[in-house]
Amino acid sequence: MPVIDVVNLSKSFGRKVVLDGVNLTVEEGESLVVLGGSGSGKTVLLRCILGLFRPEVGHVALEGRIVQELSRDELFEARKSIGMCFQMAALFDSMSVEENVGFALMRHTTMTLKERAARVDECLNMVGLKGTQKLRPSELSGGMKRRVGFARAIALKPRILLFDEPTTGLDPVMTDVIGRIILGLKEELGVTSITITHDLKSAFEIADRIAMLFRGKCLAVEKPDAFKVNPHPVIQQFLRGDADGPFLQDPPPPVSHRQHHS
Amino acid sequence: MLSQLLEQLGTKVLEVVTEAGDFVTVSGRSLLAIFKRPFDGRNFLYQLSAVGVNSIPVVVLTSLAVAMVFAVQLAYGFRTFQAEGLAGQVEGLAIVRELAPVITGLMMAGRVGSAMAAELGTMQVTEQIDALECLATDPVHYLFVPRLLASALMLPLLTGMAIYVGYLGGFILLVLVQGQSAYVYSQDFYKLVSGRDLIIALTKGFVFGLIIALVGCWRGYRTRGGAEGVGNAPTSSVVTSSLWILVSDFFLTKLLLV
Repeated sequence: MPVIDVVNLSKSFGRKVVLDGVNLTVEEGESLVVLGGSGSGKTVLLRCILGLFRPEVGHVALEGRIVQELSRDELFEARKSIGMCFQMAALFDSMSVEENVGFALMRHTTMTLKERAARVDECLNMVGLKGTQKLRPSELSGGMKRRVGFARAIALKPRILLFDEPTTGLDPVMTDVIGRIILGLKEELGVTSITITHDLKSAFEIADRIAMLFRGKCLAVEKPDAFKVNPHPVIQQFLRGDADGPFLQDPPPPVSHRQHHS
Repeated sequence: MLSQLLEQLGTKVLEVVTEAGDFVTVSGRSLLAIFKRPFDGRNFLYQLSAVGVNSIPVVVLTSLAVAMVFAVQLAYGFRTFQAEGLAGQVEGLAIVRELAPVITGLMMAGRVGSAMAAELGTMQVTEQIDALECLATDPVHYLFVPRLLASALMLPLLTGMAIYVGYLGGFILLVLVQGQSAYVYSQDFYKLVSGRDLIIALTKGFVFGLIIALVGCWRGYRTRGGAEGVGNAPTSSVVTSSLWILVSDFFLTKLLLV
């Protein structure tokens, strides 16, 4: 039985169809990377998996239970086994790093203060942020915020991890650091994960399989090697990072050729 | 042309009904969430301080100013038919029954309700409320309940304080400025007021507290559209809760005075 089973999922906002009959499965311990352009429905897919959005058609099943059929209390119970890492970290800005990471522990466990502090320390160690407990989110850089977000997501030892564009807006070095952390978490915790990213380098590093979303549809879900040679023109254009091709709805501006006069 | 107009009117009516329905649903959820566990005592204490203790200067200043202005008007009005002695009695009646609860309610809608809307609105647009959901925490339980309880508890206390400050405001004007007897004023202030009036005032404070917290939190929770949305949430919260304070004041007065 797949851990995450997305069946014929469709979601629209007004007249804009964001997801159009998406089918995906993620097996236990597998790392799926979802690629796609901006506005292709990747974040909406994650939100549907978490039950934050209700799809019009289709459903998401988490470990065999259909998310959309769960009561609110059951949904909160199911979310305890999911760690979500937001694109902009979404840290609670009125709390310190320690309080952010220990938030779920405080709410859902009977841990003592000491045990909680030890677990927070352990989680911060995993993301390479030892000794930052007392800092406020406003004192952190973008990359540090994402990593605190990761630490917060893994605090409850979830079985599923969801990463929403974890490297967007970061410099190449920090992008690599984040990629390594995700890889490390995957190996250390053995969790099932879905990562949404634009960064092809880390995508190929962390993926067991890669899915490509394009205008709300899933074009391919396959192993990285097979994905690289997939002949679909949209996939090839995305991998090349080329402006010319079927990927953009509006034609790109023409390339300007400077006339060099000597 | 006419069908277009009707369509627009219908859309507006549907919007209003949907919003009202959403407010009632979220309010119902927040009232039920009061009995859910875990109870966040630290957050509750913080809200008691934010809603109650930090509001004391504002309530003292406004109720003092209103009580003094009202005493000036009464002294001037009653002097025209040589009945200055009645000023203290009417001052007491007006402050206990209407001025203290309503002025406190309106000031708190501006100070506390708007802050709640702005805080929750910012949390909404920065995905912090989604993060709460993802951390298996009901935002209505975690964010609404401490604010709701603090507001419902502190508003009657602030109303009580506003009554006492109102008494002092009248004292300053009628005794120290107008030269009335301090003993007579202190007797007159409570002459027309019964214990029931005090209970009505505190009940009003309690209801206004519920309105302020529910509207403020709901407006913040439903914020959409980035900075503009966050900017609109407090304004809309103050207007809506002030309106409901005035409307409910009328009905509470009618119901409780009968």
